[in-house]
Amino acid sequence: MTYVNTTSQPKERRFTSPLKIAEDQMLIGLTLLGQVSYLMWRTFGYMIRLQIDWGESVRQGYMIGVKSLVVVGITALFTGLAMSLQISRELVSFGADTSIGGVVSLALVREIGPITAGVIVAGRVGSSIAAELTTMMITEQIDALKVMRVDPIRFLVVPRYTAALIVIPTLSTYAMFLGLLAGIFIAKSAANVPPDTFLDSVRQTILDRDFSVHYLKSIINATVIIFFSCAIGLNTRGGAEDVGIATTRAIVWTMISIFILNFVVTSLTYAPR
Amino acid sequence: MNSEPVLQVKNIHKAFGDRKILQGVSFDVYAGEMLGLIGPSGCGKSTILKIICGLLEPDSGEVIRRSDEIGLVFQGSALLNSLSVRNNLALALDSRNLSRVEEDKIIREKLALVELADFMYASPTKLSGGQQKRTSFARAIVNDPKIILYDEPTTGLDPVMSTVIEDYMIVLSKQLSAASIVVTHQHSTWTRTTNRVVLMFEGKIVWQGTPEEGIKSSDPFIKQFASGSREGPMLATKI
Repeated sequence: MTYVNTTSQPKERRFTSPLKIAEDQMLIGLTLLGQVSYLMWRTFGYMIRLQIDWGESVRQGYMIGVKSLVVVGITALFTGLAMSLQISRELVSFGADTSIGGVVSLALVREIGPITAGVIVAGRVGSSIAAELTTMMITEQIDALKVMRVDPIRFLVVPRYTAALIVIPTLSTYAMFLGLLAGIFIAKSAANVPPDTFLDSVRQTILDRDFSVHYLKSIINATVIIFFSCAIGLNTRGGAEDVGIATTRAIVWTMISIFILNFVVTSLTYAPR
Repeated sequence: MNSEPVLQVKNIHKAFGDRKILQGVSFDVYAGEMLGLIGPSGCGKSTILKIICGLLEPDSGEVIRRSDEIGLVFQGSALLNSLSVRNNLALALDSRNLSRVEEDKIIREKLALVELADFMYASPTKLSGGQQKRTSFARAIVNDPKIILYDEPTTGLDPVMSTVIEDYMIVLSKQLSAASIVVTHQHSTWTRTTNRVVLMFEGKIVWQGTPEEGIKSSDPFIKQFASGSREGPMLATKI
């Protein structure tokens, strides 16, 4: 049977060279970086002058932090369980079971804690912010703010960033402690290492600097999540389809940036000299 | 009507890329006057409103406003769903640094004008389409603006609610003695509410006069637009 398409003409197939695609993506990336830089400049300006809506910041803290507790908790717990199991197995085979606590805590404090909280919040909150702000753009709510002489950056971005600066490091700490609890449980049940021995190893291994790096990474994650998702949301126009596109862009850009910047911080602080 | 216009739009040009949206649009609006800006979709009506209230910059030409207080009623109401009705109106009062009691007094007064005083602490998401539209009216007039802009105020509403909204427009315009511009393509809205009508097509003004003149006119543009006919200079394919 032959089907004839009577409604539309077949689309002309065009070949786009990989170089052109790379050039386009580079341009999109540079534009986004410019938008993020502008947003950061304006937001820091308001924050330095303490022009912060504290009530809205608390509401955003609840939206970003409290509503992420369960998902971050479950993720951190199971990541901690799996990682501790792998580490315990290898260290027991080398007869180094008393070092399980140190190795698990090093991984948790330096990498797993900030990355787990960052990635989960980027997926849950970054996408939601991008979708919300894009919808506000499309439904002219941002225009309404401008007509009322209310700066959308002060009204929408500053409270979200203020809240994220407090709740994302808190979520990272929470993820780290849950991972540690998982480690204690696995060390006891799989390698028969008592909790006291586990915690002694933690105390001997972890340095103050590790906590500084942990919080530095958390603050960088908060900055990336809020500014990328807000910049994408506030610069998207169009219709319902564009809300989906903006959401995807926000997740992709924040995730990529979190992993790249995590590596940069690690290489600057822990690389062998 | 005062001799000096509250708002002057002078020879505005605006293009988005290669597409010319406005090509030398000029008109004046006086205190107490309600000007209808009519025309087919895509002719540049909403772009003019955005230029007047400063959301867009024209490529050339100028807008002279004799009042900084502008109220804009958006087509889709544009209420902030995360805030209550009260706080939506309070946002517009933010720059005046009023006390909470003073804010509440003004907000209650404006909501009473649109018969929504009982909904002061409601969420906009709990309101019907007509109530949302009336809330956006109250927000637009909360600072007693001397210029009120309405962007398609009755589009998407049923005929009864359209009449209610048109009545509010007439009352509010008289009470505030404001210069109003109504962007619409709804026949009943421009014939019932406006004193003067400007018909736009392809970014230019092609006819202006009173609504009564428009209905009786033999000018091919306004005749076709008023009758909704396919026959005329505004070809269906171009619209």
